[in-house]
Amino acid sequence: MTDPKPRAAANNKQIRPDGIPKVTGRLRYLTDGSMDGMLYGKIKRSEFPHALITSISVEKAAAMPGVRAVITHEDVPAVNGFGIVMPDQPVLCEDRVRYVGDAVAAVAAETPAEAEAALEAIEIKYEELPVLDSPEKSLSSEAPLLHPEGNVLHRNGYQKGECEKGFNQCFCIVEETYEVPRQMHTYMETEGGIIAPEEDGGISVYMGTQHGFKDRFQLSRILGIEEERIRVVSSPMGGSFGGKDELNVQPYAALLALKSGAPVKIHQTRSESMRSGIKRHPMKITMRTGTDQEGHILAHKVEITADTGAYSTLGPAILDFAVEHAAGPYIIPHVEVNGVSVFTNNGVSGEFRGFGGNQVTFALEGQIDRLAEKVKVSPIEFRKMNLRAEHDPGPLGQTIVPTMGAEHVLNAMEKKPPRLWRKKEWKQYGTGIAITMHGGGLGYGRLDPAGGRLSLTSEGTIEAAFGFEEFGQGITGVIEAVVTEAFGCSREDVTIRIGDTAKVPATGSTTASRGTSMVWHAVQRMKGEFQEKLLDKASAVAGCLKEKLSLGRGGFYCEEEQVLTFRHLANVLETDIVTTTTFDFPTTPDNMDGSHYLYTFAAVRAEVEVDIRTGQVSVAGLNQAVSAGPVIHELGYKGQIEGGGVMSIGYTLMEEASMRQGRYLTENLDTYMIPGISDVPFDLDVHPIESLSDNDPHGPRGVGEIGTVAVAPAIVKAIHEACGVWTNHLPVSPNKMLEHLTEREVQPWIPK
Amino acid sequence: MDTEIENQPVRPLTILSFTINGRTVQVTTDPSARLADIIREALDLTGTKISCGIGRCGACSVWLNGKLVNSCLIMAYQAEGSTITTIEGIGEEDNLDPVQQAFLEEGGFQCGYCTPGMIMAVKSLLKDTPHPSDEEIAEGLSGNLCRCTGYSGIVRAVRRAAEKEQ
Repeated sequence: MTDPKPRAAANNKQIRPDGIPKVTGRLRYLTDGSMDGMLYGKIKRSEFPHALITSISVEKAAAMPGVRAVITHEDVPAVNGFGIVMPDQPVLCEDRVRYVGDAVAAVAAETPAEAEAALEAIEIKYEELPVLDSPEKSLSSEAPLLHPEGNVLHRNGYQKGECEKGFNQCFCIVEETYEVPRQMHTYMETEGGIIAPEEDGGISVYMGTQHGFKDRFQLSRILGIEEERIRVVSSPMGGSFGGKDELNVQPYAALLALKSGAPVKIHQTRSESMRSGIKRHPMKITMRTGTDQEGHILAHKVEITADTGAYSTLGPAILDFAVEHAAGPYIIPHVEVNGVSVFTNNGVSGEFRGFGGNQVTFALEGQIDRLAEKVKVSPIEFRKMNLRAEHDPGPLGQTIVPTMGAEHVLNAMEKKPPRLWRKKEWKQYGTGIAITMHGGGLGYGRLDPAGGRLSLTSEGTIEAAFGFEEFGQGITGVIEAVVTEAFGCSREDVTIRIGDTAKVPATGSTTASRGTSMVWHAVQRMKGEFQEKLLDKASAVAGCLKEKLSLGRGGFYCEEEQVLTFRHLANVLETDIVTTTTFDFPTTPDNMDGSHYLYTFAAVRAEVEVDIRTGQVSVAGLNQAVSAGPVIHELGYKGQIEGGGVMSIGYTLMEEASMRQGRYLTENLDTYMIPGISDVPFDLDVHPIESLSDNDPHGPRGVGEIGTVAVAPAIVKAIHEACGVWTNHLPVSPNKMLEHLTEREVQPWIPK
Repeated sequence: MDTEIENQPVRPLTILSFTINGRTVQVTTDPSARLADIIREALDLTGTKISCGIGRCGACSVWLNGKLVNSCLIMAYQAEGSTITTIEGIGEEDNLDPVQQAFLEEGGFQCGYCTPGMIMAVKSLLKDTPHPSDEEIAEGLSGNLCRCTGYSGIVRAVRRAAEKEQ
């Protein structure tokens, strides 16, 4: 064994561990699977957005060929409800439906066609109720109550100083109302997978989620089965973006599998997914913001109304997040924020990348740009005058980890040379900048446990096990990079174990930009002890002084020479080498419910081209500077910011899951438009700022969300610079643009 | 409604023969079944995905007689006697196609669900246009949606693969 010890290489450029199976099409997604004797499940959803159910008859359906099980509310053994915060969404509705995605029955049959036919044969009688299709209607005094506690899901607010007094001192005040749409996650893999009954009366769930242990808990509560008898295998997934965090079709496949005694596969079609899946909260946000003569913001008053749809899911936490981020990275003496999240008969709104931050940041940055214009200060200078400094408290006055992020990202954008346009006739050009700060983790007062496990496998690899899921964001790449860096070993020496409750420790949800951060923390906590254990054993086996031994590629080295392989050590070991850790996501010491401690920052510069004949806006350039600590995996980091940026180009310019009277006006990707390759700039610029404040012990932060947050206001400001149009409404429609352009006589040839 | 052709009233089954990834196969099927379903279910080649089912997203892209098609829009009878190539016919772990290698190195994928169809489209583009301009890249990939990458990594991969061709 004389291999010279290669130095631990920087692993942050290496290709992802899940890469080859993905580019060759060999990766089996959970919806690609099949099992012997497997049945196909289909879910019967409500015909009406709001109605009483007067009767449900499944006899005909149950007698149809190939049908092996039909379920209704009568078949739910324990709690007939789900929801991460409150289980108020019925698994199967009994007497009332509150949105068009509500499930009333489900069938399992031998073929998809038989399941479909049986679904048609289920007879449900309804008595229609008035449809509350807006928060305004739901809050009116004559509105029927959608839930026993009323039509308000949640209220939250924050107050600092005295807003009215602040406004009295203002030289300039801007008041605007911003409206943002219902955005669909549009993960390419729609919800689904297989659930198999097990001999012990339990089940194995092969379906995607962002928190396998939470699904296990929720399914246990529905099925009346102990959590230990439920196994949730939840990776890999074809995208999620927050959209698969809540339960979706798991309860139906589980109930059908238990009733039929056979594995049941459900894979929703796109239209089923659109109808039942959660979306980003539409919000109406009114902001009144004032400054003194120089442009120092003195007062900021915010009213947020969120349409949370029929059920809770994470609606309360999303409102809290929006309230927290309503003043963003600015230091304002007088602030008042009031938010309300309202039940309606619209589609359920829930968790989506950015988590309420995108909505308020659009409004806040819109205010900032309007004020800058009014007081005649450049948008960058205006922001600098009001920006937080390194040791300022967080937006709710709470202690946060010191950070220069806000200043750093803004400076990076300021230094960027301006775009050189190749100007064309009928086009107008503009640039806009926006910034944001975004909290990571679930927040103060919320259970946010993390952890991890390292062990030496019998095959002689270092197994890194986490309760996280891979839905494309690249957590497997992060784990591999962190572990190889910690031990100087090669990627072949590492086994990644995730996404299976039977095999991994519970390390919290794969949400809230927490995965990267928690993997890094866990490995830093474990590496010393794990390495000591390995070296102790290796020293005895290799007959080499422990002090002279070190870890490297493939095994152990004594003064640059390999003296023992991991495999050899694993073969001779009599006891397992395992190190585990558990800890909580770091939170502020201050008692401010839901508030965050670790923040990331982004500045976006958007460059747009507006066609004044058609009103079409196209984004020619999108540059993002991100401050989130060291980059763990370069391609993963870049990919999150680029992909997040384009997702928000869609949010700004084209995406809206419109509803009328509680019904979706769109059923598939022909009318719900997401950006295609022709809608995006090819060379997105991502500028990571890796430095942290002195003695910051928290390492890399996650970047799963930050790249989506400040894109919309940057584009909208760029549109303003191009043609003088301010828009408060997303998505920016070409029709609206034309109206504005005509009004402003930008197109003199169109008569007014 | 998604286009669930296989759920139409029963028709007599036919025996369909075609060549897929160099292998001749016979499948007994409803003549109007979706090719995408035949590929995924009867032949268990699950690299070809179905995401919208209406020919909008390109996740089911395959080559039919050398031409890029959405296999969710092809009916079984249209494939009779044809030559089909799916992602499984492009490259394997130890013998990657240069386009696949470029996707790995440039971050041309994240969740991977659009990737097989996207790679079929890129291969098809480069076959016709070995050194595509940006406009040609946009045109060639306009039928394939990706929700993760924002297309940047895909564009880098196409450019790198095209460079290697030189």
